[in-house]
Amino acid sequence: MIRFENVVKKFGERTVLNGITFSVDAGEILFILGTSGTGKSVLLKNIVGLLRPTSGRIFIDDEEVTHLSEEEYLSIRKKCGMVFQHPALFDSLTVFENIAFGLRRHYQLDEEEIRRRVARVLGLVNLPDVEERFPAKLSYGMQKRVSLARTVAIDPQILLFDEPTTGLDPVTTNTINNLIRDLSRTLHTTSLVVSHDMHCALAIADKILVLDKGSIVAYGTADEMKRSTQPLVKDFLQEALELAKTH
Amino acid sequence: MIALAYNSWVGSLEFLALAANTLIRTILPPYRFRDILRQVVFVAYESAPIVVFCVSFAAVVTIIEASFHMKLIIKNDAMVPGFASLLILRELGAVVSALLITSRVGAGLAAEVGSMQVTEQIDALRMLGMDPVRYLVVPRFVACVIGGFLLSIVANLVCLYCAMMVSQVSLGYSPGSFLMSMRTFVHFQDLIFSSIKGACFGAVIPLFSCYYGFRCRAGAEGVGLATTNSVVSTSVAIIIIDFVLSWLFTHFY
Repeated sequence: MIRFENVVKKFGERTVLNGITFSVDAGEILFILGTSGTGKSVLLKNIVGLLRPTSGRIFIDDEEVTHLSEEEYLSIRKKCGMVFQHPALFDSLTVFENIAFGLRRHYQLDEEEIRRRVARVLGLVNLPDVEERFPAKLSYGMQKRVSLARTVAIDPQILLFDEPTTGLDPVTTNTINNLIRDLSRTLHTTSLVVSHDMHCALAIADKILVLDKGSIVAYGTADEMKRSTQPLVKDFLQEALELAKTH
Repeated sequence: MIALAYNSWVGSLEFLALAANTLIRTILPPYRFRDILRQVVFVAYESAPIVVFCVSFAAVVTIIEASFHMKLIIKNDAMVPGFASLLILRELGAVVSALLITSRVGAGLAAEVGSMQVTEQIDALRMLGMDPVRYLVVPRFVACVIGGFLLSIVANLVCLYCAMMVSQVSLGYSPGSFLMSMRTFVHFQDLIFSSIKGACFGAVIPLFSCYYGFRCRAGAEGVGLATTNSVVSTSVAIIIIDFVLSWLFTHFY
């Protein structure tokens, strides 16, 4: 489904991704873990062409997308949804208009169908009755959930989550993690999740990739991670263990 | 030093690419008439009071200063209405209104686009299949061209009216003699050229604002820097374009 071959991304002299190679199959959930500033978000943005790799190749459904133009990327982005680190809602539009925005761009739907879909995705994130409110009137957590609803609304085959639960309360975090798992299991959606949460990764990820200073230091299943002797992975496991104890 | 020159070169090319992109997308459909109309109201209608207020004072100062110095040096201020009208129509009306639009609209636009860049709204637009240039820049570009054109006409007319009133009150020239003197120095084409200048000044305001907004770095400091850079660059560009157009228009007299 998604394949990286020796991808390098540099900003000027600074190398952010250094020879990244991995693949994700359809319907899989891949968690990308790493400390801040290790290139996790950059990796996600390279998949959908928001950033372009300096060298290396990226494939989606066996089609190389590395050198596609902005117009050619539209068809790729139509099957991808991305939840950004910030809620990234359009301030001048209501919640309904924010979610309908992508539906109107990607599909020829009548207003009734758009209303139905918006209501359905807002229900998924437990946010009924906020359709006519503006993003500024919502709490940060609610904005992140609307952002998730907007992404899910266009029924993407690939979902990219950039720290979807950062800044959220434990209940909402749990809801979103369950949603990621359910979308993958029921709709066969492929999900790449950038996170710091090893506890959650061990629970729902099919594969886990650990980045450090732009390079992959560990890549495998949850069980393989638990047996890893890599220091950073052990640190993450330790933190997950402590989190599990406190709960 | 080499790195600075290289960055300036790359920045100039990026700006030209944005300008070319904007022009192409302005010409090609689909047209976002509702957005354009909303922006015209914001740029032209809502800027009109501050433009009228400021150019009124500019007219008063022009007449008083010109009269004072002419009396001082050549002991005669008979040509003040004519010279003042010339100055107003060729320079003051268009330039002052453009600089006011820059500070009111340009600064806000740079901050708005900069904030959208920092909070990943621009990326979200691209992910949802919308071209940010078509969605953000084109409506504001068209609105600022129309706004610059209209406000320069309004500014000129208000400025001339105020100059006429001050000439009557302060210098004792009747409106009739003011208009007679004005007709000796200025022609209708001066108003046309001034409006063309206004439209050109209007065109550069959203281009610089959006250019710096798109390049905005994270944080409040980044947004502040983008806003400052856009206002400074736009103001400098207006002065340079004013010089080029003034020189160009001398060939039509």
